[in-house]
Amino acid sequence: MLQKKASSDWTQDDTETLFGRFARTKDPALRARLVVMHQNLVRYLAGKFVNRGEPLEDLVQVGTIGLINAIDRFDSERGTKFSTYATPTIVGEIRRYFRDKAWSLKVPRRLQELNQTASRAQEDLSSKLGRPPTIQEVAQRIGATEEETLEAIELGNAYDTVSLDSKMMHESDSAPLSLAEFVGSNDESLEALEEYGDLDQALEKLEPRERAIIVHRFFKDMSQAEVAKQLNISQMHVSRLQNRALVQLKTMLKDQE
Amino acid sequence: MITSTHDTVELVIPCRPEFVGVARLAVLGIASRMPFSYDEVEDVRLAVGEACTHAVERAGDTSATIRITSSISGKALVIEVADDVPSGTTPAAATEEAQLLSEAGVDQQGLGALLMEILVDEVSISSHATGTTVRLTKFAPE
Repeated sequence: MLQKKASSDWTQDDTETLFGRFARTKDPALRARLVVMHQNLVRYLAGKFVNRGEPLEDLVQVGTIGLINAIDRFDSERGTKFSTYATPTIVGEIRRYFRDKAWSLKVPRRLQELNQTASRAQEDLSSKLGRPPTIQEVAQRIGATEEETLEAIELGNAYDTVSLDSKMMHESDSAPLSLAEFVGSNDESLEALEEYGDLDQALEKLEPRERAIIVHRFFKDMSQAEVAKQLNISQMHVSRLQNRALVQLKTMLKDQE
Repeated sequence: MITSTHDTVELVIPCRPEFVGVARLAVLGIASRMPFSYDEVEDVRLAVGEACTHAVERAGDTSATIRITSSISGKALVIEVADDVPSGTTPAAATEEAQLLSEAGVDQQGLGALLMEILVDEVSISSHATGTTVRLTKFAPE
């Protein structure tokens, strides 16, 4: 899991000298060397998080970002060891990666999938062996550790049903949200907006006077008499124009569908 | 889901690598009794795994055991990982990982402690002649 090269050529003294030189010169080549020298630290820490369902290489990359930040900020004259200084930064970056990926929403799915794979393997092996398989045999078949296999069998089913009131994703700085709050519904005003959009286009195509009647009657809630007065025509005329305009609008909107 | 009283779960495992997974699994179940997010549950599990690994590495080939006592309350999850490996015992052979890290100037045991501190809210480690106890506390979200 760890890479054997790079780090072994350097003693602690060399590391300190390098950090001192990098602090003065900010030489990118020195930085690159320091990054390579501490790859084992990143790999070691990333490996601790690998059972959370993300590929090790992704975690190493994310962790390396943390390492680079730590290298840039490290002050070797403070007397702290670099690994002590860098570990929280590296781990912080890895944990943030999980948080940002909304990993907590993906876990149940991962476990469910593993659970299904495990039960298929159990059936397969049962008929093949003529007896129920052991956990070790199932683990070997599905290429997971025994711990993961047990977890999947034990918990995969449990995650099938989740209460709508169950609390999710609570961070220390915000109130926990229940699952129900994540469930979407049709947004009526959003749908109305979409329809108004179509209506707008249709209105544009009406004659100016008819458009004015529709706008006054239905958007400004004016009576036919009020509109008639405003446009200086008879109420009968308003009524006729309004009906004609409505028919036109209906036809135009139907055509759009 | 939140219990108003203290519920306690005790688990004693042989101080050997193949049983660390058993502890981690049990802790997964126990931490799930708390109103923690998945990430927090995993953090607790990883921290307990580190504490056990620390004991296993010092124990080497002995008949030592690890006692894991988890106390669940509405306020916090407190897990004590106590081994009976006499303090001062040094591993017979360092693991490959430990060797590689020490070549890079990193002390693996110190790193384990550091990792635990990042993952849970409180860590206290006490070593006696008869063994070492690591006490991990993770507070329930407000």
